[in-house]
Amino acid sequence: MLTEKRLLRAEPNFGLLTKLLRVHWLFVALLCALAGVGYVALYSAGGGPEPYAWRHAIRFGFGLVMALSLAMIDIRILARLSWPMYALSILLLALTLKMGHVGKGAERWLDIGPLQLQPSEIAKVGLAMALAAWFHRASYERVGNPLFLIPAALLILLPVGLILKEPNLGTAFITAIVGASIVTAAGMRLWQMALLALPLPFLATIAYGHLHDYQRARITTFLHPESDPLGAGYNIIQSKIALGSGGLWGKGFMQGTQAHLNFLPEKQTDFIYSIIAEEWGLVGALALLALLLLILWTIMGIALRCRHQYGRLLALGIATNMFMYVFVNIAMVTGAIPVGGVPLPLVSHGGSAMLTVMFAMGLLLSVHVHRDVEFLERRDD
Amino acid sequence: MPRMETVQVTAPDLARRAALERSGQRLLLVAGGFALLFGAVAAKLTAATILFPLAPSKAETAPLIPADPGLATPDSSPTIADLHQPRATITDRNGQILAISLPMAALYANPREMIDPVDAARRIKAVLPRLDEALAIARLQSGKQFVYLEREITPSEELAINALGIPGIYFEPSEKRRYPLGRVAAQTLGGVDVDSHGVAGVEREFDKRLATDPRPLRLSIDVRVQAVMRDELEKSKEEFKAIGACGIVMDVNTGEVLAMVSLPDYDANQFGETPPDDRFNRAITGMYEPGSTFKLQTAAMALDFGTAHIWDEFDAAHNIRIGRFTITDYKGKHRMLYLPEVLAYSSNLGAAHIALGVGEQKQRLWLGAMGMFKPIPIELPEAGRPLYPPVSNWKEAATMTIGFGHGIAISPLHVVRATAAVANGGYVIQPTILARDPGDPIPERRIMTPATSDVIRKLMRLVVTDGYGKKADVEGYFVGGKTGTAEKVGAHGYRKHANVSAFMSVFPMNAPRYAVYFMLDDPQGNKETGGYSTAGQVSAPGAGRVIARIAPMLGLFPDTEHEAQIQAQLDIPLEPARGSGEPTGTGSPLLAAAMAETAAAPAAPPRHPLQALRHEAALIVSTRQADAATR
Repeated sequence: MLTEKRLLRAEPNFGLLTKLLRVHWLFVALLCALAGVGYVALYSAGGGPEPYAWRHAIRFGFGLVMALSLAMIDIRILARLSWPMYALSILLLALTLKMGHVGKGAERWLDIGPLQLQPSEIAKVGLAMALAAWFHRASYERVGNPLFLIPAALLILLPVGLILKEPNLGTAFITAIVGASIVTAAGMRLWQMALLALPLPFLATIAYGHLHDYQRARITTFLHPESDPLGAGYNIIQSKIALGSGGLWGKGFMQGTQAHLNFLPEKQTDFIYSIIAEEWGLVGALALLALLLLILWTIMGIALRCRHQYGRLLALGIATNMFMYVFVNIAMVTGAIPVGGVPLPLVSHGGSAMLTVMFAMGLLLSVHVHRDVEFLERRDD
Repeated sequence: MPRMETVQVTAPDLARRAALERSGQRLLLVAGGFALLFGAVAAKLTAATILFPLAPSKAETAPLIPADPGLATPDSSPTIADLHQPRATITDRNGQILAISLPMAALYANPREMIDPVDAARRIKAVLPRLDEALAIARLQSGKQFVYLEREITPSEELAINALGIPGIYFEPSEKRRYPLGRVAAQTLGGVDVDSHGVAGVEREFDKRLATDPRPLRLSIDVRVQAVMRDELEKSKEEFKAIGACGIVMDVNTGEVLAMVSLPDYDANQFGETPPDDRFNRAITGMYEPGSTFKLQTAAMALDFGTAHIWDEFDAAHNIRIGRFTITDYKGKHRMLYLPEVLAYSSNLGAAHIALGVGEQKQRLWLGAMGMFKPIPIELPEAGRPLYPPVSNWKEAATMTIGFGHGIAISPLHVVRATAAVANGGYVIQPTILARDPGDPIPERRIMTPATSDVIRKLMRLVVTDGYGKKADVEGYFVGGKTGTAEKVGAHGYRKHANVSAFMSVFPMNAPRYAVYFMLDDPQGNKETGGYSTAGQVSAPGAGRVIARIAPMLGLFPDTEHEAQIQAQLDIPLEPARGSGEPTGTGSPLLAAAMAETAAAPAAPPRHPLQALRHEAALIVSTRQADAATR
């Protein structure tokens, strides 16, 4: 048995003030900057603070308070809530299938009193928490054991399957990727992953047969957007025109014709990036991309800095989720992938998405505040 | 101060640290993947913004009237293909193709010239796999002189079969009708049968013209407007769980129909397999009670005939009882209302009093001149016949209920046409599905004085600024309109909770250009509308969105600069300011014409006993339920 001298974690005087000082304020500032970009873009989309920008600011303020409050809660307490959270999100998904309503033919929403929830958003956070808890104590050898991986795979497949059934292809895909990223980081062998990836094209072919008409239309439209300029291809074409008309330097704040003359539908939600690109040009669009990259970079930094596996894996799951939002959204508005109804986090208009994103950011802040805590062993395995 | 302490490092501790180490490496791997994809997105962004920017398509920037519509004039040198002239293309007003014929061949045989039918069928089957071999053999052995084997084969299949050299096998030119835009304007276009004869819609109406004249037929439809209308109707239909929807956009000065949408619809290429319910064109075949949109007509006729003055007051305090029936107001004000208030608050009682003042004779004269007693004269075979009470039954009760749009059923296009007439300066125009060239004569008839039309335009604007139509307003476009919620007639009289909710709007009100009609069939209120499914809640917002989207496409830009000025010109107070007065009806063109030809009585309702009976029944039902009727 080895012995070693090391720093005892400063837990006895880990009070509220210490916690506040340990909050990653730079990260908070970056989030504020991103929401600020959203405010400006929504101000333009709505032609003034009403109807979008003002509400966006209020929601962000509310979300920020929630995130900072979450940051004060010990990550070990949050970790213990992983499984209930996962169970709750599965329950909500099942409930939505039973009694939710379809909006715009794509997403499913659940009405809880005055609140409209998109359970698939919550499910992604729940999945990240559950997987982080599952792999938290696992040794590298153990992760290599397929028998240990099977429950993890089931953990992923359950929400993915439910979301697919809604049907929400894009979110199901993102959820699967979030799960895969955590399993990858936990140490699943690369050859195992290759083995799993092999039958994917085959499965995709089968899946195409089970798609809804509108989903197939999206794929066809993606391959040939000009084939349906008035229907499913309309959004992509108008978005691309907006990007093209922005050029290098953009048309200037509130000057975008595509957006202001209503050529671009859903401009305040999924296509907000087109407005930014039209009004601020490639320069502005790339600047926003850089800001998003910086935020992701910071999240990855938080993950690496964390001294426990739970926090690290959770942070990675949240990073992946955030990244997938950004990637899918921008790829969508530039016409690189089929339209999928994925918003740009903290920039697009929408209360439910803002709430879940800020919840995840709160978890992240808590991971960082409690980066050095030691999880008590219930028993060694 | 951190304290130093000696602790034991156990084996699991080490394992955990190893796992952390490993996850750190993997994290960087994932981060690398992120960076790569980020780079790809940035590259794509650069491509889309500055390297290969996408310009608006030609159709979007094209002038409204293309320079040369005759682009498909056939080659002058006659060839064999010319013996079979393809059916002419149908385009929208900008030249976008809506229907086109692809050259195909029909495969037929003369069984009497056949040597070995079984072998022939087998060999054809080899190059034409979709051939039903058994059926082909049966046909080839029939002993007739002419049998079709396959109606549509491609040129390459024709070549391959020809190369088989089977005696008795022949080809004749044929064609396949394609509708490249699918659902867009499906009901309007209609369809053709296997022999390429039009069986519905434009295809049927212009069958001869399309078969004989190879130049494209240019419709008044603008596919962009059509698509926007369809999109917004679809969204609203889904949002309010309506069973159907209908939308029309018409040029109020030329009568050209720019969009005509009826939902549910279908892919025009699947015309044959579509259930008749989906083929139903609500815009011209559907007969609905117009509800409160009709109050515009009542106000217009009263003002123009001089039977009411704009500042006359009408009793909206007391419900009207006729026999066993009662007329009441929805959310009534229970006081005397000025005429503008009657429209703004959509008072049934007020409208009934105004209609009573006009009287049944003049009411019929007006509605007849508006073409309400005949199918709408548009070039489509599906135009349906309105339902209205026979003269014998058109008494006080009918006059009053029709005053607020009940007891008469007309098509949405009737409503659009009549509203266009009261807004465009007073002309009833013949609506058309064909594009008019500038300078074409526009069949129109003056029905009212320009002064009355001016007042009506102000009243329509008032409904949007101060009445139930607020949700239809679009800044800078001076939208005017009128809501109309009518209860649907079911098997047992009016159905309390089944509405037809329509918003009839015209914009811009200072110089009217387009009429936009937006109707939902049986919408369900939701949380956002406070549970209401009335037109002001469910249809007005949709109409506003349509206007906001189509106006720039049609070259109209919002005028926010002179907004206050223009609005001031359109303002009409709800109540009279001291000493205010508007000109009232003097010199109604309709009355003058009626007097000139004393013999010319208004078009009489049908005398057919069965139809008369039906009108009577409808009227009784409508009067009984009129208390809950319009808003």
